[in-house]
Amino acid sequence: MEQARNRLMVVLFLFIGGFALLGLRTVDLGLIQRVAERERTDWSTAPVLPRRADIVDRNGVVLATNLDTPSLFAVPAEVRDPEQAAARLVSVLPDLSLADVLARLQSRKGFVWIKRQLTPAQVWKVNALGLPGLKFQQEERRIYPHGSLAAHILGFVDVDGNGIAGIEHFFDDRLLDPGRVGKPLRLSLDLRVQHALHDELEKAMVMHRAIGAAGVVLDVNTGEMLAGVSLPDFDPNHAARALPMARFNKLTNGVFELGSTFKIFTIAAGLEFGIVDLEDSYEAIHPIRISRFQIRDDHPKRRVLTVPEIFVYSSNIGAAKLARDIGADRQREFLGSLGLLRPASVELPEVGLPLFPDRWREINTMTIGYGHGIAVTPLQQAVAIAAIINGGVLNPATLILQSDNLQPLGRRVISRTTSDQMRALMRVAVTKGTGSFADVPGYRIGGKTGTAEKSGIGGYRRDKLISSFVGVFPIEAPKYLVFAVLDEPKGTAETHNFAGGGWVVAPAVGRVIARIAPLLGIAPESQSDENRFRRTALLVRRE
Amino acid sequence: MGTSLMFGPRRVEQTFLQKLRQLNWLFVLVVCAIAGIGFVVLYSAAGGELDPWASTQMIRFAVGLALMLAIALVDLRYWMVAAYPLFALGLLSLLAVEFFGVSGMGGQRWLELGVVRVQPAEFIKLALVLAMARYFHGLNPPDTLKLRSLAVPIILIILPAALVVRQPDLGTTLMLVLAGVGMIYLSGARVWIFGVGALAAIVSVPIAWRFLRDYQQERILIFFNPESDPLGAGYQIMQSKIALGSGGIFGKGFLQGTQSHLNFLPEMKTDFIFTVLAEEFGMIGGLTLLGLYVVILAYGVYVSLTCRSHFGRLLSIGVAGTLFLYVFINIAMVMGLLPVVGVPLPLVSYGGSSMLTMLVGCGLILSVALHRGLSIPRKNAFG
Repeated sequence: MEQARNRLMVVLFLFIGGFALLGLRTVDLGLIQRVAERERTDWSTAPVLPRRADIVDRNGVVLATNLDTPSLFAVPAEVRDPEQAAARLVSVLPDLSLADVLARLQSRKGFVWIKRQLTPAQVWKVNALGLPGLKFQQEERRIYPHGSLAAHILGFVDVDGNGIAGIEHFFDDRLLDPGRVGKPLRLSLDLRVQHALHDELEKAMVMHRAIGAAGVVLDVNTGEMLAGVSLPDFDPNHAARALPMARFNKLTNGVFELGSTFKIFTIAAGLEFGIVDLEDSYEAIHPIRISRFQIRDDHPKRRVLTVPEIFVYSSNIGAAKLARDIGADRQREFLGSLGLLRPASVELPEVGLPLFPDRWREINTMTIGYGHGIAVTPLQQAVAIAAIINGGVLNPATLILQSDNLQPLGRRVISRTTSDQMRALMRVAVTKGTGSFADVPGYRIGGKTGTAEKSGIGGYRRDKLISSFVGVFPIEAPKYLVFAVLDEPKGTAETHNFAGGGWVVAPAVGRVIARIAPLLGIAPESQSDENRFRRTALLVRRE
Repeated sequence: MGTSLMFGPRRVEQTFLQKLRQLNWLFVLVVCAIAGIGFVVLYSAAGGELDPWASTQMIRFAVGLALMLAIALVDLRYWMVAAYPLFALGLLSLLAVEFFGVSGMGGQRWLELGVVRVQPAEFIKLALVLAMARYFHGLNPPDTLKLRSLAVPIILIILPAALVVRQPDLGTTLMLVLAGVGMIYLSGARVWIFGVGALAAIVSVPIAWRFLRDYQQERILIFFNPESDPLGAGYQIMQSKIALGSGGIFGKGFLQGTQSHLNFLPEMKTDFIFTVLAEEFGMIGGLTLLGLYVVILAYGVYVSLTCRSHFGRLLSIGVAGTLFLYVFINIAMVMGLLPVVGVPLPLVSYGGSSMLTMLVGCGLILSVALHRGLSIPRKNAFG
């Protein structure tokens, strides 16, 4: 009886102990652990923000975003047999070096990376090895859904997610700013336009076996870049694998002697400074000889040429003579005001330094008059031409979407009258001159060809050209400018083996405009505009 | 008149009215209070609606309460007579579940009896206590020390446990074994036997592990490290702990629990109802409910200590132990102190079976209390 009572007491104490435990735990959870559990709740419900903001085009299409990807690391102390583990790891991740992996696995560190940013298939294979001490860490990987399409503009990031080229580098602080990480960086690019330009340049490059190409589509009134292409290009998702040549941005970093498109500036300066009228003319019968240089025409007319004829038929002799009349100082000042003598101002770290003579002698003045002896980037050339035809206001190039209500801070470089005359000349160059292959029915395109010989050992090489074309539309009130350059194009049977800008680039620019004009809301016009620039056209005699 | 003949002349039998008056009405009130807390929490869990849970629960409680009072008034000796038959009935219904049972929620536990669905696993818990009490009551005191007298109780435990574990219902199995072993201990078996038994249990753990279902293994593994899988099987217990902690001292207020109302918490109306209570009424609410359970158990122990008959003593403490196990396993489980084994909180959790077990158990304690002065012969209840 006594024993039964004792045992009952034992059970009673068990009851009491059990309830005391529950009571204490209730107090523990209610009072002491309360804060910790709250924090955990926050962790589970807080929206997960990426470390780096997205980049989108002007229409909100994602150009760069983030993806959680696992990275493989090892805790060397937990790896049982480093030799065997390293061998097996290399067998499933063949791009790793056995010696390197082994050294990492044998290190005394608590944490060593094995490979960053694995694909799901690789994760599966590593898991299938079942090696202890190998773990995955979720990391953010930068993803460029459109691959190489805007590679040189966007740039890329390193494995730790820091921008090291292009927009990614230029706006690194902005993209990493925790306060703005939820708000994507909106570029001025229009992916549809970018695609059209990229596609046509690629086709032209293949067709003419060029070693490279560059192109840009500008809004001439705001300086916004709607597209920017440099070829060959690379996939920014795998930037490390790209060749240095492919990573080089020809559009903003490459400087070229661009040739005849420079005549736009020479004629504009002549008209702006009142040195010539459209009715004035220059003798272009004989090539010019100055010391060891000779200036000759690619399309020699061997007669006296009016100013519009110099432009439309792209006479080097005429342009050189006009440049001589302008003079070195005024020419230098004028080109400087167009931003051609300093690096282009654009939101990219890769901007090239223009090359021009230190001592600006008469011979330099004359060759610069037709675009030789000065090397600039295609982008700044395009920006300067935009200023000539948009009414005379220079708007620096920008890759950032400009809000509609904010007028860009442009700087007047020429008068409206000169700009109007230049537009007429560029239209006639397409209807009557070297740019005729760029004409697209319905879209009044104005343009200018450019064909420059690349300088090599011992002077200029006739077989290595930089061919370009600038197209502007609609010419009576220009909205957009397309500038494209082919590096060392070769002529084909269709171009009768010619490889100049009018033959190889003008058609490509025409096709770009035909593709993008409808996208940009510019309706084709069925009426002929023959009468609009009649006065200028009459000054150009056809043979 | 019949009763005086049947039970012999030793003692004047109480009348029905006398019994009613002697009944511990405070105890009944506490039972009602616990059920009341259940109604309130179920009302809240339904988003401030009586339907579908609180109203059903109230009807069940009314029926169960009447049953409890009826059981309390039945003479203890009848219960002794009925002990083995009830146990046999329980075993048969477990077997029936095995063959004709209705599956639900991953386990085959219900038996369809016309309109009523019963869970024999609940019923067998009390039947086992009755049968064990009956057996040890009939044992010669010196025989309790003999090893072979343990054979019957061990079979009594193993038969239902084996059937229940196949359903599979880990919680009930655990309760049956613990309650049974506890009663063997209370009836005076030698202490070293329990040492050997514990050793055998430890040795058999790896073997038993292989017979567990995947989800049972998973739950036990996750118990030891719930944070390892916060979105998978550890989710339930993580969310439960978050809810318990977020209630603080006084809780978020009636109908204000976010964890439960935003459906973060699975099974909130059944096994995890204590969490809803603690979230909305805080530490105070949780401790109040614990206190009410303590009153019930304390009364069970008190009745056991003051009972004259061995059967009544064992029955009362056995039922109290079973109720203790219910409450302890459930609350420890939602607090993350034990693996999730699926034991409801009696009287509070939504569901008829556990409520009925609890009320029948309380009825048995009350019956023992009313007849505690009765001395019952060892062999035959009615001498």
